[in-house]
Amino acid sequence: MDQDRRNDWIWFGSLWAIFSAIGFYLVLGIDLLPAQWAHEAEIVDDAYILLMGLSIPIFAGVAAALLTSLLRFRVQVDDIPTEDGPPVHNNRNFVRLWVASTLILALMITVNPGFIGIAELRGEPSADIVVEVQAQRWSWKVNYENGAETFNQLYLPADRRVRFDITSLDLVHSFWIPGFRVKIDAVPGRVTHLYVTPEGVGSFEDDFNLRVQCAEICGLGHAQMAMPVTVLAPADFDAWVSDLAEGA
Amino acid sequence: MRQLLRAVIFGILGYLIGAILTWLIRGGSLGDEVCVVFGYVVGLIGWLFGIGMGDTWVREWFGLPAREFEVTGWKRYLGFSTDHKVIGVQYLATFVVVLLLGGLAAMIIRFELAQAGEGILNADRYNQVMSMHGILMVAVAVAAILGSFGNYLVPIMIGADDMAFPRLNAVTFWLIPPVAIGLLAAPTLGSFDAGWTAYPPLSIVNNGGQILFVLAVTTFGLSSILGGLNVITTIVTMRAPGMTWGRLPIFVWAAFAASMISLLTTQFFAASLILIAMDRVAGTVFFDGGAGGDPLLYQHLFWFYSHPAVYVMVLPGFGVVLETITHMSRKPLFAYKAVVVSLLSIAGLSVIVWAHHMFTSGMADYLHGPFMFASEMISVPTGVIFLSAVATMWRGKLWMKTPLFFAMIWVFQFLMGGVTGIFLADVVTDVSLHDSYFVVAHFHYTIMGGMLFAFLTGIFFWFPKITGRMINDRLGIIFALWLTIAFQLTFLPQFWLGTNGMNRRIADYPEQLEGANLMSSISAFVLGGSFLLLVYILLSAAIRGPKAGDNPWNASTLEWQVSSPPPEHNFSGQPTIVGHPYGYGTAGSRHAEFADMAAGGQAQPKQAGTGEGADDE
Ligand SMILES: [Cu+2]
Ligand SMILES: [Cu+2]
Repeated sequence: MDQDRRNDWIWFGSLWAIFSAIGFYLVLGIDLLPAQWAHEAEIVDDAYILLMGLSIPIFAGVAAALLTSLLRFRVQVDDIPTEDGPPVHNNRNFVRLWVASTLILALMITVNPGFIGIAELRGEPSADIVVEVQAQRWSWKVNYENGAETFNQLYLPADRRVRFDITSLDLVHSFWIPGFRVKIDAVPGRVTHLYVTPEGVGSFEDDFNLRVQCAEICGLGHAQMAMPVTVLAPADFDAWVSDLAEGA
Repeated sequence: MRQLLRAVIFGILGYLIGAILTWLIRGGSLGDEVCVVFGYVVGLIGWLFGIGMGDTWVREWFGLPAREFEVTGWKRYLGFSTDHKVIGVQYLATFVVVLLLGGLAAMIIRFELAQAGEGILNADRYNQVMSMHGILMVAVAVAAILGSFGNYLVPIMIGADDMAFPRLNAVTFWLIPPVAIGLLAAPTLGSFDAGWTAYPPLSIVNNGGQILFVLAVTTFGLSSILGGLNVITTIVTMRAPGMTWGRLPIFVWAAFAASMISLLTTQFFAASLILIAMDRVAGTVFFDGGAGGDPLLYQHLFWFYSHPAVYVMVLPGFGVVLETITHMSRKPLFAYKAVVVSLLSIAGLSVIVWAHHMFTSGMADYLHGPFMFASEMISVPTGVIFLSAVATMWRGKLWMKTPLFFAMIWVFQFLMGGVTGIFLADVVTDVSLHDSYFVVAHFHYTIMGGMLFAFLTGIFFWFPKITGRMINDRLGIIFALWLTIAFQLTFLPQFWLGTNGMNRRIADYPEQLEGANLMSSISAFVLGGSFLLLVYILLSAAIRGPKAGDNPWNASTLEWQVSSPPPEHNFSGQPTIVGHPYGYGTAGSRHAEFADMAAGGQAQPKQAGTGEGADDE
């Protein structure tokens, strides 16, 4: 390899390192993700950060190659180009290596955070309490196990695994709690399920992402189809829910 | 001009006949959706008859000679022309206008979203403008490159004098105006507000404008299918002698792969829309969950087309960009065969990944894994495209004119779209990100980045060929930088908005998200402003740009070996293809030779043994 070609790769390598470093600094330095309010949020965020970590060097690599090309391979053409580049049509081994590495990478992320993440996120199909949610343009009705009912308010106990049984009376809506990082559609004619274990005690007043937000367009009131979520300590929740049931 | 006027009159008459007959038969009101449906269908037939089918096909069906129209000059562009170059320009002009209209809608959307709370639009209007923006831009993305450059260049690049079915080609284009009229007329029936995806039950219970959406988009689908059929037939049957499959320019391969998808999957979208129409007007309950139907059925049918449609949008873009990069770097396209295999495998894989749009739809859990796996696999052939783009430039002689600038920016933009797509193909992260602004940012990088930037690359690269004039290169590069920087500042904040709790398709959002939204909106206006510069660049170049000459880029493929613009039947002599399309760097390498038609009398028969995989390397 002559000096000139070696310099191309040195340029490329240095730019790659610089871009990757900037990328990692930004990802780790900026708060990209909001507060986690559920066990599931940790799983999702871990997957997010793992994918970020893998994406940055790939992204930086292509960006470095682009910038190297721009800086080192541009030529001044006065009228019409006469000089050609080298007649390289292919480099079979390099293509094979490239395909093999993208394939391995794709398989890797399919396994983790893919399949492994799905298994973790889904967990055991068992729950400490069941909460029924009914969506209807443009509001939410919530039923708790002992007959307690709330309208456009959702109360949950911390550290207990909750199963939501979700349905809709009219259109497709979507039950999304950004603070929990999970969502599932509310579909008329079916019941869909979501398992969540809230963590930490707090309410919509503490974090606006402690809310259920409809995430599937449903007409006029879609943006406003949200309800605040309040996570109580388990004992407080039990007291709250039995108070409500008695009052009903 | 006469044809166009006649088409309008026949179209209106047809509409009235269809609507009034239906009304007379069934009663009710003339504005009922049933009347609209039959009015539209008869009106569409009247329009097509008036624009030129009556003069050609219909006369021949009755044993009469087809009527020829000797129209020259700019009037050709307003009539039923069968010249693929005229049709290409018709597509180009139409979709630039639609693009600007869709962009205007985008400006209104960002104006509304600049601040929390209700601004210029109420929620209803917002949903309508957003839906209009969506469907207009999807139409641009599907048809702009394939319709304009596909029509204009594919026949020339393969050494043919026209498309395989020139009349069908004209019909394919003239199906587009009814689509535009249908969509833009929707406000008369109360607009449509279900987004471009039109999920039922919303799309069944909303205003009457939705029926016009259904009719218009179905018509657009018909145009896509016919266009795909024509491109494929042209490439299979019309190649010049010696133009083996291994010598096709890469844009032709890309158009071939994209057309395969249009031809074979658009029906599913049409079917799903027709079922919507029936649920609306005929009282069926295909998608009514409460009555035994299933809303998820629609989503499966819809995405069975609409995911592959993403590749109808971007595969031609791959072709444009790789074509530009190889010519402007003056190096052979790196790994030509691997790129071809990748284009075809993307087309193949694209039909087995649709349900990655449905991870949170409530479909059965066991489907998540397989669809995630298939979706991740698409990154492998896509990676080969990136490799080819970058490796072709490596140690090339980069002539940094506007087209190459745009092509390089395209690589960056589509990479951003591709990488963020992994987060959405992965079930775990998608459960959080689905239907959030992360998705909005992602598909603007893929579709706007992957398709629109390729479209612009193509416009700057082939403008001299189509108009015979050069573009002001300095302004072109200013435009490229302006657009690109504004683009990043518009859409990067939207990734953050998505992860921080902003869902898509909303007129209002929690006020905590105001800062990033304001930044995105201001940048969007700057982005929108750049298109004024584009319009100025194109118009001034078309009117008084310096003459381009036949081959301003000194490029090797066939379209550059003819005059700018090319003569009526493309070649004065029959071209014979004798070598690889990108023989840069090899002394004496030639792609084509021209025999004089007049001397040889007839075109030579096609070479025997034009087998696939002929190796020119
Ligand atoms: Cu909604
Ligand atoms: Cu998709």
